[in-house]
Parts: sequence; C-alpha cells; structure tokens
Amino acid sequence: MKDTIVQGLQQAYQNMAHMIAEFLPRLVVMLVIVLTGVLVAYAFKYAARMILRLTKLDRLSEEAGASKVLRMAALPSMTEVLSRSVFWITLLGFILIGISVLNIAGLQEQVSRLLRLLPEIVVAMLILFLGLVIANFLSRAVLLGSVNRGYGSALLFSWSVRFIIWILAITMALDELSVARQTVLAAFSIVFGAFMLGLAIAFGYGGQDLARKFLERSLAEKKPDDSDELQPL
Amino acid sequence: MAEDTTLSDDLLRQLMSVGEADLLVAIPTYNNEGTIGQTIQAIEDSYQQNFVRDRVAILNVDGGSADQTQEIVLNLNGKKSSLRRGITSLRTVHRVTAQYGRGPSQGSALKIVLAAADLLRVKACAVVSPATTVLDPAWVANLLRPAYKQDFAFVAPLYSRTKFQGLLARNLLYPMSRAVFGVRIREMYADEWGFSGRLASECASEQMDEAVRARPEAWMAVNAICNGMKCSQSYLGPRTATPGGPDIVETIRQTVGNLFYCCDAFQDHWLDRTGTESVQTFGSDHELTAEDAPSRQDKSFELFRNGVQTLDSVLKSILAKETHAKLKEIATKDIDQFDFPSELWVRVLYDFAAAYHRTTIARDHILQALAPLYRGQLFSFLSDQAQSTPEEMEADTESLCLEFERQKPYLIERWKAKS
Repeated sequence: MKDTIVQGLQQAYQNMAHMIAEFLPRLVVMLVIVLTGVLVAYAFKYAARMILRLTKLDRLSEEAGASKVLRMAALPSMTEVLSRSVFWITLLGFILIGISVLNIAGLQEQVSRLLRLLPEIVVAMLILFLGLVIANFLSRAVLLGSVNRGYGSALLFSWSVRFIIWILAITMALDELSVARQTVLAAFSIVFGAFMLGLAIAFGYGGQDLARKFLERSLAEKKPDDSDELQPL
Repeated sequence: MAEDTTLSDDLLRQLMSVGEADLLVAIPTYNNEGTIGQTIQAIEDSYQQNFVRDRVAILNVDGGSADQTQEIVLNLNGKKSSLRRGITSLRTVHRVTAQYGRGPSQGSALKIVLAAADLLRVKACAVVSPATTVLDPAWVANLLRPAYKQDFAFVAPLYSRTKFQGLLARNLLYPMSRAVFGVRIREMYADEWGFSGRLASECASEQMDEAVRARPEAWMAVNAICNGMKCSQSYLGPRTATPGGPDIVETIRQTVGNLFYCCDAFQDHWLDRTGTESVQTFGSDHELTAEDAPSRQDKSFELFRNGVQTLDSVLKSILAKETHAKLKEIATKDIDQFDFPSELWVRVLYDFAAAYHRTTIARDHILQALAPLYRGQLFSFLSDQAQSTPEEMEADTESLCLEFERQKPYLIERWKAKS
C-alpha cells in the first residue's frame, strides 16, 4: 500500500518534472518571441509614424473631417491612431505566434482561428471608421445646406443622414466578420425599411404642407430671398 | 510656356495670324448673344477713339454657348458710330475666338486670356463682361491706359453705386483684403479689370487653384501686390445689377473663399506687414448715391439666429471660445435690440480665416457656415444705416476698415496658433 502510494507520487513528480522540462523551453521561446515582437512593433510604429507624417496624412484627415471624429471620440491624431494600430497589430501577431509555440491542446485551434479572422477584423474596423467619417461629413453638409436654405428641421435631416450611414457601416462590418449574417441582413432590411417608411408616412401625412412647399420651392423658378435681392457685389 | 498646354491648335493659328499686339481686350462669354454685339461695338469704338495707332485685338473666350455668341463675335460688322468723328483705326482690329469647354468657368477663361496675352506679347490687357449692359468705350480705355502708358500692373475698376449695393464688398471683402494685404483697392472683385503684359506672364506661369477659379480677378490683384507691382483704380461709371447671379451662399463661397485662399497662399507676404497704402486713382473716387432703405430684413435675422443655434457644433470648431460665446449672446437678443458690433464681426471673420488656414473642418463647410453670420451682420448694418447719408455710410465703412487693421495682430495670433 505504502509502496504504491510512494510509487504514485514518484510517478506524478516525474510526470510534472517532465512536463515542466518540456514546457519551460517553450515558455522561454514564447517570451523571446513576445519580446522580439515588442521590439519589432515599436520599430514598425516609429516607421509608420515617420512615413505618415511625410505624406501629411493629418492635413488630409482634417480636410475630410476624420480628425474631428477622432477628437469627438477623444482619440489622438490620425497619424498617431494608425501608428499605434500598427504597433498593436504587430504585437498581437507575435503574441499569437508565441501562444501557438506553447502547444496547449485546444488553444492552438483557437489561436489559428483568431489569426484567420485578423484580416477580417481589420477590414471591419476600417469599414466602421470610414462609415463614421463619411457620416460626419455628409451630415454636416446636409446641416449647413438646410440651415442656409432656412429649413426648420435641419438637425433632423442631418441626424437622419448620420443614422442611415451608421446603420449601413455597422451592417457591412458585421457582414465582413460573418457574424449572424442572415440575422444582420434581415435586421438591417427591417430597420432601414421601417425608417424610410416612417419618413415617407411622416412626410406624406404629417407634412403635407411642408411637402407641397418643398416641391413648389424645388420645381418653381428659383427666387432669391429678401437679403439676396440686395446685390452683394 | 503656358500656351503649350492651354491654347488649342485653332486658337494658336488665329493668334499667330495676329502676330504681336499692344492691347488686348478679352470677353469671357456664355450664351450672351443678346449683349455681345453691343460689347464688341464698345471695344472697337474705344480702340478707334483712343488707340488709333496701336496694334489691337479682341479675344472672345466662350464656355460652350448654345446660342450664336461666337458667330456674332466673328461676323459683326462695325457700324459707323457718331463717336468716331471721322477717325478710323490705322490698323486692323483682330477678332479671335476660342472655346474652352462645356460650361462657363471664369478661371478656365482667364487661363486662356493670360496665355494668349503672353503669346501676343501685349503691353496691356482688359477683361470685360458681356453682361455689363452699360459698357462704354471710355470704360475700356480707362482700364487699358494705366497699364499701357503708366506701368501699372493691375487696374481695378471703381463704380458709382447706390447706397445698399455691394454690401458684401463693403462690409467684408474690401476692409479685410485692405487690412490683410495692406493695399486699398476698393473693388477687387469685379467683372471688369485691366492688367499689364508683365502681370499676365507672371500669372500665366502660376498654378490657379480651384478655390480662385470662380473669381480669378482678385487672385491676379493679390499676385500683383505680393510681387511688388504697382496697382491702380480707374473710375468707370455706374455699376449695373446682373440679374440671375448666384445667391448669397454661393457668392460667399466664391469671393470669401477666394480671399481666404489668397490669405493662405500668400501668407509670407502679409504676416509681417503693417499698415495700408492707397493706390493711384484715375477719375473720380468711389461714388455713392442715395437710395431708399430696403424693407426690414427680418428673414435675415431669423436665419442668423437659427444658424447660430443649429450650427453650434460647427461654429465651436471654427471660432475662438470667447468669440463663440459673444455670438451666442447677441443671438439671444430681441430683434429690436439686436446689434452686431463691428469688433465682434472682425473677430468672427479673423477666426474663420484662421480656421480655413488650419482646415479645422472641410474648407467648403467653413465658408457655408459664414453665411448665416453674414446675414446677421447685414441685418444689423441695414438697421443702423437705413437713414444715413452716403457720407455717413462712407465714414462707417472707413471706421470698419480701421477696426480690421487694429485687430490684425489678433488674426496673426490665431493664424499661428497650433490648434
């Protein structure tokens, strides 16, 4: 009995020692990979920052209204966001490679699945970002146009445009990630269709006068408003 | 060599048959068959009366008219004018036509004019508008003579106006361009202007940005100022209203956009410059005639108030905090107590110019956001000046100009600020 217990403990100790002896080098390799990853990620980050500054991306981003979106989200400049993204994507890649070296059953499969998804995640994030930028630019254009034409619901028009583009961008991002594709498409169709139907009904029933005035103003010959009758130049 | 790419083979052929010319008058047209004959006649009369011995040409640059404009230019027979008094030109008056596209573009038209003037080695050139129905032979001579005989590079027109005509020019374009560039040119945004062959060559070799294409005359004036060339003004006559022109938003985009762009492109010239200098004026100075006040512009006030409220986030990204706060404060006032102080108006414009320079949001959006504020200033101005005499109004304009000059350090401070 005693011998069996001692033998069992010895066996367990040997197994553990064997496992540790097998695992430790892998852990060291993983740490080396991650440390190398940190260095490479930093190098990539600085290189990306330098290239983006040379291409004057921040100025372009200001003109497109993207920087304002970043400021609204309390994020730094476009150059900084992209260079930091390069850093984290590179580091994440190295961490995943490092984890795969550990050879832990089940984890390997999850890691490779995540690696396969990585390009799609990046594309989805890019879609969302572009959606935000476009929504911001177009909604501001609609707001300014509506205010200068004296429409009473300028903010409503502006937010409607923003909302539609957001919904579209979110749907496209989820579709890119293949997340509940059928459900997302059906949900988008329902939300978008309901929104447009709601607008049509609201405009048709609630705003008959507004619709008539709008059509009259759009189709009739353009007449300048009072202030425009004064020759500005 | 600008003409290599700008001038078509057909136009080059026509210009080569002209050879060299001393004077050139250009007419940018687009569906102007109703008035082009009258314009050509006035130019030819001017040549006959004032430049008998000189080599002269008329250049019509057309934006793709669907009517008979170009045919009229080429085939119009000169009628005997009572003004000629027996004098006939000793040289042929050449007429040249060119088409640059399908749709009017002042910038594209001017590029052709500049390249043609450069190729013909003209000494002076004038651009006149076929929409100006009161064009007189004397107008053409007054635009050409200072550049031809007195070495002036740019000749701006001076018009006689009624009191409430040209208020954007009076309250924004003239005082701001005067304060920024330091030269007192009254009408930098006009349909008629003159320039020397040297300035034509200088501008022909430069890239014309999209922002100045709608009103390239002001860009030429700023080019002349910044290249150290002499500018002058010539009195022409009464300014006529052009029916069917762009609305106030589009006018602001074209003119104020042009001014802000020039501020940005020529910043090295004006950032260290202080004070202003007058330019030589030929003929009488700016004339203002009395006119009944227009009806109260309540709609302008409403558009201003609504604009300040609705565009809060947009204005926040353009204006300095204090300016924005003051603007919101005056927007809450009752219509009868409303006043847009000139000090605040100047600050608003300088903040807008600095925001345009830094492109805090899309530049076109910055210009559009100015429209409601201009309407507020217009309402305040009309309320103040409804009963004033032309002299009082001129004095008011002068004090606004001085306010712009006084606050120029503020513009420079905002211009150089990092954010």
